[in-house]
Amino acid sequence: MLRSRKTRVAASLLTLALLATACSSRDDSDDDASTGGDEDAAASSDIPTEDCVSDPTAEIEGDVIKLASSYPQSGTYAAYSEIARGWKAYFDKVNAEGGVEVGDRTFQIEYTDKDDQYNPGQTSANIDEMFGPEGDGAFAAFSIVGTANNVAIRETLGEMCIPNLFAATGSPQWGNPDYPWMLGSTLSPYTLEAKVFADLLAELKPDATVAILRQDDDFGDAYEEGFRMAIEGTDIEVVEVQEYNAASGEVGAQMTTLAGTNADAFLNGAALLPCPSALTAAAEAGWKPITWVSGTCISKTLMGIAGEAGADAYAAANLMDPLNPDWDDDPAMVEYLETINEYQGADFDPGNAIVGYGYTQAAIFVEALKAAEAPTRLAVMESMHNLDGISDVGLLLPGVSVSTSPEDSFLGETLQLAQYEWTTPDESHFVPQGDLLEFEGETAEHSPEELING
Amino acid sequence: MATDQPGMAAVPTLGGGPEDLAAPPETGRPSLWPPVPRRVLIIRMVIGVVLAVAALWAPFYFEPAMNRVLSQAIYIAIAAMGLNLLTGFNGQVSIGHGAFYGVGAFTSAILMIDHGWTFEPTIVVAAVLSAALGVLVGVPALRVRGLYLALVTLGLAVLFPLVTQKYVDGSGGVPLLRPPRREFASLIDGLADDQWAYFLSLAIMVVLFLLAWNLVRGRMGRAMIAVRDQEIAASTVGVNLAATKVGTFAISAAYAGIAGSLSVMVDKLADGTSAILYFQRSIEFLVAMTIGGAATILGPAVGALVLVLLRRNTQDLIEGKEVLAPALFGASLIFIVFVLPEGLVGGVRRMIASVGRRSSATGRPPTHPPSDDSHA
Amino acid sequence: MQLFINQVINGLGQGVVFASVALALVLIFRTTGVLNFAQGEMALFSAFVSWKLTTTGMPVVVAILLSMAFSFVAGAVIERTLIRPMEGRSPLNVVIITLGLFLGINALVQLIFGTDPQTMPSPFPRGSVPFILDTRIQKDTIGLLLVLLVQCLGLWLLLNRTTIGLKLRAVAANPDSARLHGIRAGTMLMFGWGLSAAIGALAGTLVAGERTAIDASLMQVVLVYALASAALGGFGSVWGAVVAGLFVGVADSLTKQYVDALDGIEVVLPLGLILVVLVVMPNGLFGKRTVERV
Repeated sequence: MLRSRKTRVAASLLTLALLATACSSRDDSDDDASTGGDEDAAASSDIPTEDCVSDPTAEIEGDVIKLASSYPQSGTYAAYSEIARGWKAYFDKVNAEGGVEVGDRTFQIEYTDKDDQYNPGQTSANIDEMFGPEGDGAFAAFSIVGTANNVAIRETLGEMCIPNLFAATGSPQWGNPDYPWMLGSTLSPYTLEAKVFADLLAELKPDATVAILRQDDDFGDAYEEGFRMAIEGTDIEVVEVQEYNAASGEVGAQMTTLAGTNADAFLNGAALLPCPSALTAAAEAGWKPITWVSGTCISKTLMGIAGEAGADAYAAANLMDPLNPDWDDDPAMVEYLETINEYQGADFDPGNAIVGYGYTQAAIFVEALKAAEAPTRLAVMESMHNLDGISDVGLLLPGVSVSTSPEDSFLGETLQLAQYEWTTPDESHFVPQGDLLEFEGETAEHSPEELING
Repeated sequence: MATDQPGMAAVPTLGGGPEDLAAPPETGRPSLWPPVPRRVLIIRMVIGVVLAVAALWAPFYFEPAMNRVLSQAIYIAIAAMGLNLLTGFNGQVSIGHGAFYGVGAFTSAILMIDHGWTFEPTIVVAAVLSAALGVLVGVPALRVRGLYLALVTLGLAVLFPLVTQKYVDGSGGVPLLRPPRREFASLIDGLADDQWAYFLSLAIMVVLFLLAWNLVRGRMGRAMIAVRDQEIAASTVGVNLAATKVGTFAISAAYAGIAGSLSVMVDKLADGTSAILYFQRSIEFLVAMTIGGAATILGPAVGALVLVLLRRNTQDLIEGKEVLAPALFGASLIFIVFVLPEGLVGGVRRMIASVGRRSSATGRPPTHPPSDDSHA
Repeated sequence: MQLFINQVINGLGQGVVFASVALALVLIFRTTGVLNFAQGEMALFSAFVSWKLTTTGMPVVVAILLSMAFSFVAGAVIERTLIRPMEGRSPLNVVIITLGLFLGINALVQLIFGTDPQTMPSPFPRGSVPFILDTRIQKDTIGLLLVLLVQCLGLWLLLNRTTIGLKLRAVAANPDSARLHGIRAGTMLMFGWGLSAAIGALAGTLVAGERTAIDASLMQVVLVYALASAALGGFGSVWGAVVAGLFVGVADSLTKQYVDALDGIEVVLPLGLILVVLVVMPNGLFGKRTVERV
């Protein structure tokens, strides 16, 4: 390979020198940039290991499992750093209780993290630095925040056969079989959320007209295309779609357009501040559709900003909401609050949903570690690909179980429909509606193929 | 050497509004590049040799992660040198060089991914395309000046990532292009990939810095500086204003484009996801140029090195209070500007000059001394 | 038609925001000759101060006034300690200082006030009033417009009809010559920065109130549009900034509605406009011609 690169460099430099810039000749056939295409082992249950740069079957030396993470700790997206406070608290607790048993050895869990300011280039640099050129700086990558940030590192980690686990976004592409070393988290794939909304509309108003607000990126694609797929063959109709740029944070004009349609339903696929802004704008325009808010918007802060304008909005989740007083006496919730208090201090609000999210991912990971046959990367990855109905850990809702299989890489496929009940700023929360919705193993059916393998 | 220096403003004024900040200079042509005393020359040569040895030895001493940081300093230095030609020597302020850098980065990434090119030749195309965009911007810039030009170019940097977000579709549906890593493999046996990236960048930087040095000392450089200091006067003595300004813009943009291209090799990706990344880059180039020393040859390189080291160390410095990292960085910039208003190179050069002269130099030093360093 | 009017109204709401920040930029530029890149972040800090005060139960209007007073002092202090020492040096140094402030203030905001978004009350009543053709206009849009007009008038009077305004302009135009005429240039420069910071505080708080929420990213995009508005308006003109701000807001809103090809890159419109205007009229729409001397 090296030889051929040398020849090609020489050849192309020569070509340039002759000024025969070869742009015109389109003999570039298939250099397939999205790589990973050389492994068609997805169908078989085994994770391919023959091309691994480092040996994934080597047992951990010493008694420490070292995890590495990269997420925004400064800059505009610094608020996401609260996820880490959740998982750090859980790991600290496990360590204090003696550690975790993998195979027949007991390990402490150590973690290290770096700030990437939500910038994929920095994530990539952080990962290179934390793992080192031999890939031995840490055992696995854990809870990296951001879709683009995970895309930026998945090939590198995949080639080195290093597990990249609990990617903290709901992108459906974490089910891409080309990247067996990477998995998402319990955050449901956004396409499943869209499916739940479509089902809800089919029940409430089978001939609904729908207006969609979406981000102008893959996050928006997942909602819009997932929803369009879910309403195929029904009388539900999308009448208007408006996009906004994540950086602008301003959706006034888009909402004026959407409200102008006076559609029956509103799929609010906005994240962060644009989410409550959109709800407020809809209310101010006097538009009262059946509203769905993105799962990323379920938080005390964001829904609190929308306030009354968010009343009755639907969303889906699979974790207990610390704000819901029904859980106040639940042992899992009590333990969560105690753990956070003890290991992460009291200078922030554990009622923020993303803290509980981080905490739960750590809990599931510890279960996966226990189920692994040996303290090796391969065994842990296989364990993660064969989760067998893990339930009642972390803040998972009662009855929600997390399962994966070699054919199904999605963790968050059980959802609970919930509706926002507006009372006072401190007491408002999402109230569960109806039974759990079970989509185990179905995400691929409900997601356009290009969103998974894109 | 400083005494016969015409009192010119280091950079054009950002004015153009109600007032004009430029001091009216009496330009004396022959004194632009005065002879340098021998003692000063010797000190400079010693510094040059030390720097050269350090630059060659560094990648064998440091870890790959640090080599990457040093390589980043190199590509930022190249872009800052481009900006230096435009702003420092020609007086056109640009806050949009991040966009030219971005064009270079995406040119290389797209050629490699969609057209199967290997990396090295894409640098040339990146330079050409960026220069072409530079001409496109340089022509209206003939009419738009000072503060307004800064704002128009700022717009370019703001716009660029929006364009990539809209039109670039990388793997995973995100505007992020990642050429295969093997395409950046070292071509020299015995050099690891990170060392290869470092040396290739360094070699290109040295060539580009020598070209810049040559340029500003030649006919073109005299025209550039004359236009900076007294545009109208320059035009009356036969300098072709339009050609000089647009030409400088093109060359400057090409430097930034090459920097962008090299960034793909160093960082292994071209990133179009962040709305403010290319604005940040523009700022970094400006900062590297200014803290290093505007209108000097070594300045951009020194400034870029200080910049990346500051950025890296402020990130690790404050465990638990990471949100403060940008504040530390900002404070460091302010500090440097306070202590060394002429930039690091300007400050050091003044020290050396005073050693060389011995006799006390009274009065204010010129806003910027002439630049006649060769290279590191 | 109704939709068109609604978009224009929405655009005006945005435009008021751009115009108020542009006003602060123009003020600092006219009185001190500096382009302050930290203007947006200074306004952000002030807006967070207002927010913090309102959480103690203080009425919004009082909170804004206190925050403006605080910002006036802070602005003056920044001028005295960070900008003044740069006098006589390359203007690039001042640019670097304001960029350093830009980074630093944003980080300080996150450290002091936290990284989570916060709910921001508006001083104007909620709800809307009927407008033509069955459309409605938000009360806070009207309130913002009124505040803007009052500000504008006040500034215009201050700059053009008072001695202090004359001194401010004299110092900006030529500090040395102003000094020779017995004007205390230093005091005037501090006053200019203080005033601009106070106006920014008002703008920041009102922007946050209009959007019902505040977080550390609030002013970054606003700053770009405000810079565009200021440039379009000629950077020296109070009225120019306001008219251009409103125009940019409306144009942006209409582009989002009617020009699908520009989805996501709407900002191209104000930027393109600036370029065209500047090429035709190098001093902006409302700028004055200057005579070049050799």
